[in-house]
Amino acid sequence: MQQAFQWYVHSCLTHMSGAARLGWTAPDMPYRHTKRETCVKRNLRPTRLLAALLALGLIAAACSSSSTTATTATTQVNVPQGGSLVIGAEQEPDCLDWIATCGASSWGYWMANVTTMPRAYDPVKDGDQYGYVPGVLLTGEADLKTDPTQVVTYHINPKAVWSDGQPITSADFKYTWEQIATGTDIYDKTGYSDISAVDATDPATAVVTFSTPFASWKSLFGGGYGVLPSHILSAVPDRDAAMKDGYKWSGGPYLIDSWNKTESITLVPNPKWYGPTQSHLDKVIFKFVADTSAEFQAFKGGEVKMIYPQPQLDVVDQINAGLADTNSTFNAETGSYEAIWMNNAAAPVDDVKVRQAIGYSIDRDAIVNKLFGQLGVTTALQVMNAPIVNAYSDTQAFAGYKPDLAKVDELLTSDGYAKGSDGIYAKGGKPLTITVTSTAGNKRRELTEQVMQQQLKDAGIGMTIANQKAGDFFGQVLPAGTYMVGIYAQQLTSIDPGRCGQMCSKNIPTDANGSTGNNVSRINVPELDPLLAAVDNTLDNQVRTDKNKQADGVTADQLVSLPLDPLPDIVLWNKSVVGPVGDNAVLGPWWNLQDWGVTP
Amino acid sequence: MASFLIRRLLYSIIVLFVVSFFAFAAVRATFNPLAKLAASKDVEVKQRESERLGLNRPMVVQYGDFMGKFVQGNWGQSESTHEAVSAMIQRSMVATLQLIIPGVILSIVAAIGLGVYSAVKQYSAGDYFLTAFSFVGIALPPFWFGLIAIEFLAVQPKSWFGLQQTPLYFVGLHSGDGAGVNWDYFRHLILPVLTLTVQIIAGWSRFQRASMLDVLSADYVRTAKAKGVPRKQVIFKHAFRNALVPMVTVMALDIGALFGGLVITESIFSIPGMGRMFLNALQNGDAPVLAVWVIVTAGFVLLFNLFADLTYGLLDPRVRLA
Repeated sequence: MQQAFQWYVHSCLTHMSGAARLGWTAPDMPYRHTKRETCVKRNLRPTRLLAALLALGLIAAACSSSSTTATTATTQVNVPQGGSLVIGAEQEPDCLDWIATCGASSWGYWMANVTTMPRAYDPVKDGDQYGYVPGVLLTGEADLKTDPTQVVTYHINPKAVWSDGQPITSADFKYTWEQIATGTDIYDKTGYSDISAVDATDPATAVVTFSTPFASWKSLFGGGYGVLPSHILSAVPDRDAAMKDGYKWSGGPYLIDSWNKTESITLVPNPKWYGPTQSHLDKVIFKFVADTSAEFQAFKGGEVKMIYPQPQLDVVDQINAGLADTNSTFNAETGSYEAIWMNNAAAPVDDVKVRQAIGYSIDRDAIVNKLFGQLGVTTALQVMNAPIVNAYSDTQAFAGYKPDLAKVDELLTSDGYAKGSDGIYAKGGKPLTITVTSTAGNKRRELTEQVMQQQLKDAGIGMTIANQKAGDFFGQVLPAGTYMVGIYAQQLTSIDPGRCGQMCSKNIPTDANGSTGNNVSRINVPELDPLLAAVDNTLDNQVRTDKNKQADGVTADQLVSLPLDPLPDIVLWNKSVVGPVGDNAVLGPWWNLQDWGVTP
Repeated sequence: MASFLIRRLLYSIIVLFVVSFFAFAAVRATFNPLAKLAASKDVEVKQRESERLGLNRPMVVQYGDFMGKFVQGNWGQSESTHEAVSAMIQRSMVATLQLIIPGVILSIVAAIGLGVYSAVKQYSAGDYFLTAFSFVGIALPPFWFGLIAIEFLAVQPKSWFGLQQTPLYFVGLHSGDGAGVNWDYFRHLILPVLTLTVQIIAGWSRFQRASMLDVLSADYVRTAKAKGVPRKQVIFKHAFRNALVPMVTVMALDIGALFGGLVITESIFSIPGMGRMFLNALQNGDAPVLAVWVIVTAGFVLLFNLFADLTYGLLDPRVRLA
């Protein structure tokens, strides 16, 4: 009853604030351990109960509209018990060993990691920003000491148990750290390699000591991995072999019942789940549907009841063509963003004035409106980072880069360029022409290139297109730097604003580092390096935020690259699926699957 | 015959080695299996994985290592999924066979029947209709036909007739996490098999028609007719068997190629067969999987090529294999 009341308050206040117009549904708001929720609990007194009930009646009357937010909130209290849900999945994970290189699959994470692995912190939306809140694995916020070294003390929920009934303890934290920090086939050791020790003396308390400060410590023992069961995995000779094809244990609301390779992954409720809600569903089946057109047809035909398609042009067309009996949500505040990445070491874009001229030539709002206007996303991103880290960002850093042909002329003529008879600027007899490379066959990017080409031509800059197969582009061209300007997306998998990997000069791929650095844009700005390094290492959140905003300013001044659009998340579900269905930009749409149900 | 078989087998082994080398080298030169690690914030992961997978060794050394294990029965491990390649091939082949077997049987019966009818009833209304059908079938891209079939044989009938479910299914081989051979399974199989057979029937029926017409105009057939041999006997005993000889060769080669998987059909209908496995491995730059796929596919083509030659000798006693 109390939880239902909280849902009404959350959803209706959101609706009345107009947030629902932006496509937010109630599940975008956190439903546990938030300040607002705590405030509601504390302020309920028996003597105010009558007033509260009267207020509830008024709120319910105000909320009797046809908005999706009110609909999903209403159905929360009426979620039926039982039934199966079949969901279309666009990709099959390579393996389910989450810490291995084969485990780095977004779909695998959304389907089977989020639903089965315990996490110390959850990335959820608190107000209008994403942030970390303690998960049900913990009793509350972890203790952070920064002097003399960084020490984080996790207090484990005494109710937290694995599916075999064994408690989740600090030994599991220690085992997880050891496997990642010292393992050989590990996808990302960042953060774990900065830990010097995990004290598991007290099973209910994990004391993690860092040798080097790591600012994004809340993404550890969660994030893309979770916490591993030491009592199960330390008893087997090969952790990878025990996990990669699926595992029969869980510390989340669901168990993996089966993984029929290339066909489906089936989840069933974890009977030992210690969270606030047990699953309403008997079974959840993720069916792999390789082709996007077939995926939509399967959804229309009822073979699958929910899909989470990529934000491609044909997807927008399908949605606009009409989908009967369908609810939808579009979330622009995601961890993915597309940008025009400039190779800062390749002429002519190695010249900051040329890069700035490009910035003043392109109408990015027009491009974004053309791509996603029908989904309500009409304005360009103004920072070189994903929307989920807006709390750390100067979200208007690039706002000054709007079409301004006078500015283009001023920049280029001061740089020695002159406009030729063909309308294209030239210097030393060489016309100013850039080559843009992206992934062949990606209609969204191809449309972007076409619009850009015309806009640049109008501004006096030539542009040719030289797209490549995705494998070639990401595997060869970007690491080797054999491109001038690229269009591709970055995806954040945690609420971590750090960009040193992509923008610090030490991470430029060179022969010295075996071409393994991730700064494929060859960004080399002296004032940027210390700022980005501080973002990674500073534990003071305010200082971290200030440094990151300063870094945003530098990236904008130097126009190291040009942000384009957030890639919206699109969730479509049949009306028979009820409950707080929505999207979490990091955890995916199934982060609260246990609260959903299906009507017969 | 024995020397013929031995010679062909030795030749096939050499071909397989050469083909697998080129496939392995082409994939290594074209794709970077470390590309998926670009999203990792760990700046050392690419170097670590390059050393672990031996990608920093010369390509010839990598191939030699792979083939050395292959000939001992160890087909290696997928670089993407860590799964044994032999298990992947086995699973994918089972799925592909579920399309090939009914598809080929249906195609053989339909193509031969339609081809013989068209030849015997040359220039009739039926012949013109079947000719038009064949040309349309050959021209139709399978991906287009597949999607149209889904739309008009599955999705639309649901709303036209107010059905609870679509009459035919088109995602995988079973609904949900079902298994086994049952009515649900057949409802999944119909559309992909139809998509597969339309083009095959169209092509084979034209070939059968041409072959049959060629035989029907031969002197010995004219002699048989002049002798007063019954028409059915002329067609089926004398003409048909001889017309079948070149047809068997074409069928054997085409069927051999099908074992490489039906990339488009399997992608549209989400069938976990050899074609999808090939596509996934290609996208991931998974050289061990691709090399084995090429060996297996080329092996089937060579095997069916050999089968065609042997069958040719059986069907036509004038041919002696030496």
